[in-house]
Amino acid sequence: MPATDFIELSLDHCIKCTICTAACPVSAVTDLFPGPKYVGPQAQRFRRDGEAPPDDTVDYCSGCRVCNEVCPTGVKIMEINTRAKARIVESRGVPLRSWLLGYQYLIGRLACGPLAGVANLFANLRWVRVLAEHLTGIAREAPLPSFSGYSFRSWARRHRDPHAAGATGRPKVVYFHGCATNYYEPRVGEAAVAVLEHNGFEVIIPEQGCCGLPLLSNGIFSHGRHHHQYNVAQLYSYAAQGIPIVGTSTSCTLTLKEEAPELLAMHDEQTRVVAEHTYDIFEFLRLLHERGRLNTRFRRIKRRLPYHAPCQQRAHRIGRPALDILELVPGLTMVESEAACCGLAGSYGYKVEKYRIAMDVGAELFDFIRASGSDLAVCDSEICRWQIDHGSEVYSVHPIELLREAYGLAPGA
Amino acid sequence: MRDTIVIGAGLAGLMGALALAEAGRRPLVLATGHGATHWSSGTIDVWGQAASGGPRAAVAAVIAGDPDHPYARTGVAGLEAACARFRQVMQAAAYPFVGDLHSDLMIPTALGAFRRAALVPRTMSAGALQAGDRVLIAGFRQLRDFYPPLMAQNLRSQGIAAHGVYLELPPVNRNLDFTTRSLAQCFDDGAFRAHVGAQLARLRGDASHIGLPAVLGMRHPLDVIAELERHSGGQVFEIATLPPSVPGMRIASILERAIVAAGGRIQIGSAVLRGVADGDRLTTVISEAAAREQQHRAVRCLLASGGIAGGGVRTDQTGAVWETALGLPLAAPASRRAWFASRSLDPRGHAIFRTGVLSDDRLRPLDQRGVVVYRNVTIAGGALAGADTIRERSRSGVALATGWAAGSRLAAIEA
Amino acid sequence: MSRSLTADVLVIGGGATGVGVVRDLALRGIRAILVEKGDLTHGTTGRYHGLLHSGGRYVVKDPQSAQECAAENEILRRIMPHCIEDTGGLFVITPADDERYAETFVAACRACGVWVDDVPLAEVMRHEPRLNRKLRRAFAVRDAAADAFLATEANAADARARGATLLTYHHVTDLELEGDRVTGARCEDLRNGEAVTIHAAYTINAAGAWAGKIAGLAGLDIAVVPGKGTMVAMNHRIVNSVVNRCKPPADGDIIVPIQTVAVLGTTDIAVPDPDVFGIEPDEIALILAEGEHLVPGVSRMRALRAWAGVRPLYRDVAAVDDRDIPRTYKLLNHRTRDGVAGFVSIVGGKWTTYRLMAQEAVDLVAADLGIAIPCRTAVEPLPPVHGAPKSGHLTLGGRLRHVESEELYGDVICECELVTRRQLVDAITTGGAANLDDLRRDTRLGMGPCQGGFCTYRAAGLWHELRGADDAGGADAAAALTRHFIQERWKGLAAIAWGDQLRQQRLDELIALEVLGVDLLPAAVIADGARHPTVVTEHAAIATEYHAE
Repeated sequence: MPATDFIELSLDHCIKCTICTAACPVSAVTDLFPGPKYVGPQAQRFRRDGEAPPDDTVDYCSGCRVCNEVCPTGVKIMEINTRAKARIVESRGVPLRSWLLGYQYLIGRLACGPLAGVANLFANLRWVRVLAEHLTGIAREAPLPSFSGYSFRSWARRHRDPHAAGATGRPKVVYFHGCATNYYEPRVGEAAVAVLEHNGFEVIIPEQGCCGLPLLSNGIFSHGRHHHQYNVAQLYSYAAQGIPIVGTSTSCTLTLKEEAPELLAMHDEQTRVVAEHTYDIFEFLRLLHERGRLNTRFRRIKRRLPYHAPCQQRAHRIGRPALDILELVPGLTMVESEAACCGLAGSYGYKVEKYRIAMDVGAELFDFIRASGSDLAVCDSEICRWQIDHGSEVYSVHPIELLREAYGLAPGA
Repeated sequence: MRDTIVIGAGLAGLMGALALAEAGRRPLVLATGHGATHWSSGTIDVWGQAASGGPRAAVAAVIAGDPDHPYARTGVAGLEAACARFRQVMQAAAYPFVGDLHSDLMIPTALGAFRRAALVPRTMSAGALQAGDRVLIAGFRQLRDFYPPLMAQNLRSQGIAAHGVYLELPPVNRNLDFTTRSLAQCFDDGAFRAHVGAQLARLRGDASHIGLPAVLGMRHPLDVIAELERHSGGQVFEIATLPPSVPGMRIASILERAIVAAGGRIQIGSAVLRGVADGDRLTTVISEAAAREQQHRAVRCLLASGGIAGGGVRTDQTGAVWETALGLPLAAPASRRAWFASRSLDPRGHAIFRTGVLSDDRLRPLDQRGVVVYRNVTIAGGALAGADTIRERSRSGVALATGWAAGSRLAAIEA
Repeated sequence: MSRSLTADVLVIGGGATGVGVVRDLALRGIRAILVEKGDLTHGTTGRYHGLLHSGGRYVVKDPQSAQECAAENEILRRIMPHCIEDTGGLFVITPADDERYAETFVAACRACGVWVDDVPLAEVMRHEPRLNRKLRRAFAVRDAAADAFLATEANAADARARGATLLTYHHVTDLELEGDRVTGARCEDLRNGEAVTIHAAYTINAAGAWAGKIAGLAGLDIAVVPGKGTMVAMNHRIVNSVVNRCKPPADGDIIVPIQTVAVLGTTDIAVPDPDVFGIEPDEIALILAEGEHLVPGVSRMRALRAWAGVRPLYRDVAAVDDRDIPRTYKLLNHRTRDGVAGFVSIVGGKWTTYRLMAQEAVDLVAADLGIAIPCRTAVEPLPPVHGAPKSGHLTLGGRLRHVESEELYGDVICECELVTRRQLVDAITTGGAANLDDLRRDTRLGMGPCQGGFCTYRAAGLWHELRGADDAGGADAAAALTRHFIQERWKGLAAIAWGDQLRQQRLDELIALEVLGVDLLPAAVIADGARHPTVVTEHAAIATEYHAE
């Protein structure tokens, strides 16, 4: 049977129990979305190649994958939905907004660096956002991250590994930084490099592009394919040597591991090898620890911090590696949220008709973080962090930043 | 890292994980998805047939007559211990259960049949109606899962003066779709409750009891009921209906919180693919994950992955039957021809649904020769052979008793 | 209790042919009454795979049938597009088939006037990604998928609108004979036990596989061989077009995508009695094994249900095998054949030719009655009924589009098949439905993956609200309806319940027993007609029992 069938045939596992819809954070707050069972395995039986897509409401799926997580029978609901969205795009064309959200990294490339100050000022002007909302449908209130005054890659070019001198034969690791780290949050990449180097790794930062997830989730599959092919070409030689590829953007690593290959039915050898060698950074650190190779000399951090495992992290199906590692830090207590999703779900909450839904979805998380009384929250996904900052007004960091602190490694080191 | 693995997140797995967590074993619960608790009626049903002396005596008789029944592995004492801890945990979460093992409560289904349950949440207990009671059954036309007139008429045919009505849906910001879950969310809102309460007061007439579908709030159902009772003047009770079950979801989330609070972790969305063993010790559990499998060191492991409904037992067109997580040997009908009775509702049930893992008196898995397969594994719930718990109406009782016992016994195993 | 009715023509049998006949009569202004012992389409029409034949299956061995099919195919597409999904069809040569048959097949198609086109395999695979990638040849034909429930309902609605009377649950117990003339029939109304006598100048026996039994009531012997055909519906549309093996017709050589499912068919086994047959495990194994040649992996996909129908084969020549009996139909004029006037039997044939069969029967009867109005069924379009698109062909996405644009999601009562509250209310209140299985034929209730696990209770609840007043003690009627429907669904499940579908059955059991307690209600079975004058759940005359394995 053709490899593309794996996702669609999974609808056969559906026993209609509605657990997915009962857990869906989107259908909980709006009835514009009839829920994952309805638009997923149920509607899929009514979709036929060659017939115009009969339904639009699947577009209200945020792609958060909570349905996949809770489904007791293994239906690939989110993937069914994303493919249905792509068929709608195929039959009706790509709206401007989807291009903008799919190619946001190009904007980052332009605005990051010396012009960041001006760009940030401009991007945060109310009339600019109102105008943009009218022109493009990107919600005026949605949290745009600030462009960094320098890119991560420019930092990396200047960076000198403090452990390099005299060291030979150190194990190597490839760091996949993703667009957010490069253009908005170089600090996350700096922390990742510091932690990996502190654990004796030589960190390689190869040429890389956007993982393509924003394109895939907006149904622009053909362009998403180009991006993934590019990254596979850049990363394969390392993976083929057994060098792990580690990322701090949990959605990028998920895309490399699974989303792109499965949605696009890319099952070639190179794609597979890259996927199998890709790790979420805490997944990687946890493996090191299991093999007794993680440096566990941590400073005491006497804090109790709220933690949210983002849906894209949970979609790796690897548990809570960040908690597993941070639990080793003396004095540190992490309290995990029970919220299903921050609401933003990639580019979903940026869309004017979905902004309110995204905020309502995120309400439980915002409440949890505010109720913690902490002035700091921890979350593995940049998009979720922006939403947490926006919704709860509590500053949030990637857990790798916390780990660097636990190692006593000063920022910028 | 965690080395106590629980496979399955239904009632059996969660009770087992709770026992392990409370014993300091920091269990990791791995499950494909949510468990069958989300489909259940949310009561603890110990035995479906009447017995003088109540469910406790019924179970004692079952054990005496069938030494391979799952209840025989826990004994009556094990069942009692499990019920006691379950009630404490639910009580602590402000979701108290009433009833005991000395007598069943007879509560009505959404069809209006009376079924027995040993423990029922306080939200349902006023549904234990007596002949001569006057009852208002109320629902919402927008909820396709509950039909008050039908239920009321069936109650009437059993001597209960019941009347079924549809309520007007209070103003909400939804109009397209109502599920049990979305209505439960509506009841978390004060204005919604007040609106419903006022209608109930108006419609109650001389009814002393008011039955509503089991959607009376997700987190604080007792408060919802108290408020509806204050408004209406009647005794309000919930009636379980089609999945997804709000009472079942409440139980699952209370147990999950208790497990996490006691040091456990829940990892759902992670189907267990297989185990690796060293002789008669399971050493590793392997779960499905993106791009790669995840390996978990297993010093001890509780298998509570369910039966055919739960997904712990799978079958195919050739008549093959297998245990999906660890590949344990199963007791199953010899061939497909022996799977089914000719009538769907045959009270004897269908042989295939009795399929499960044979176990010793410590709930450890046995092979066909009666040899323990893994000394550091115990089995609980629907994965156990020897009972068709849906026909027996013992599903939640067996899950509770064997889950707690399997977890407690497993906790004693040292690395 | 008894009543008596009179018409010009009595039609026996509420399948495609009988209903086609009654519509044809109505169009010619002939007063007609149709009687059917169950619901319309309760027999073979409701149990077939849904193929609108291009004729391709018969071109080699049975050219007359092929020509009839080809002509009727075009007519039906014109008069009832809303009942037909234009899926197109393929004849494919798999590695298991003789490639030389291709030339025989194409030549025979040309000879019969059956449209055929050689299709490049690359194009076939684009359109049908699940088909065997090792196919050697593929030919396109004008096969399509027909919804026989909708089509029969459309014919019935039009016949009623034109003055015909259709009586369901009227079981013919005897034919009225005056000398050598059939003058009507005596029936039992299964809903209330009432005896109904129908007087008619002419009686048309359109009882299909049951035609032999009907003729027997007049002491006539007609060799109708009930040819059991077993089919398996897969959980979703695994193919987009009808796919036939390009070889002499045999068991398990076709897949028909119809509505939300794909039907693998069929077997062909003569059975002695159209009311007594089972689905044998060997048949299912054979169908799946043969299906593997067309769609590799199909036997590991989820089967939704199996069922069997009985073909009304008419044996007037010595045929060794059932498959050798011609698929064409035969009109038997019992006056010329047996010396019994006022009685004709229309036997054999297939769904695709139902209209032509009706035309031929009515032509003869009209001539005998001295009515010269010609047949118009080939040109008079059938108005769409509920559940069918208002214009154009039936499409797979049509119902989803309808719910999206015009319904509340919460009103989708049967979620699998998107049956809405509105449709059910209509079917419960206006049709002659006597049980939930009749609602299924009207609406597709319970025909999806969960096989009624969720919607049975909902439908019973609605039934009780809408008809409880008619059915004294309506609540136990609802209980009986629930149990009846659960058993009706079970009949087709035991044969294919494994894997996901077995898991579904176990969840359905959990719902029925643990959550609802359908077995705990006091009323078990409704005594026939005793207290529920509009409900029929248990009656020997309509109990086509499949044996469980």
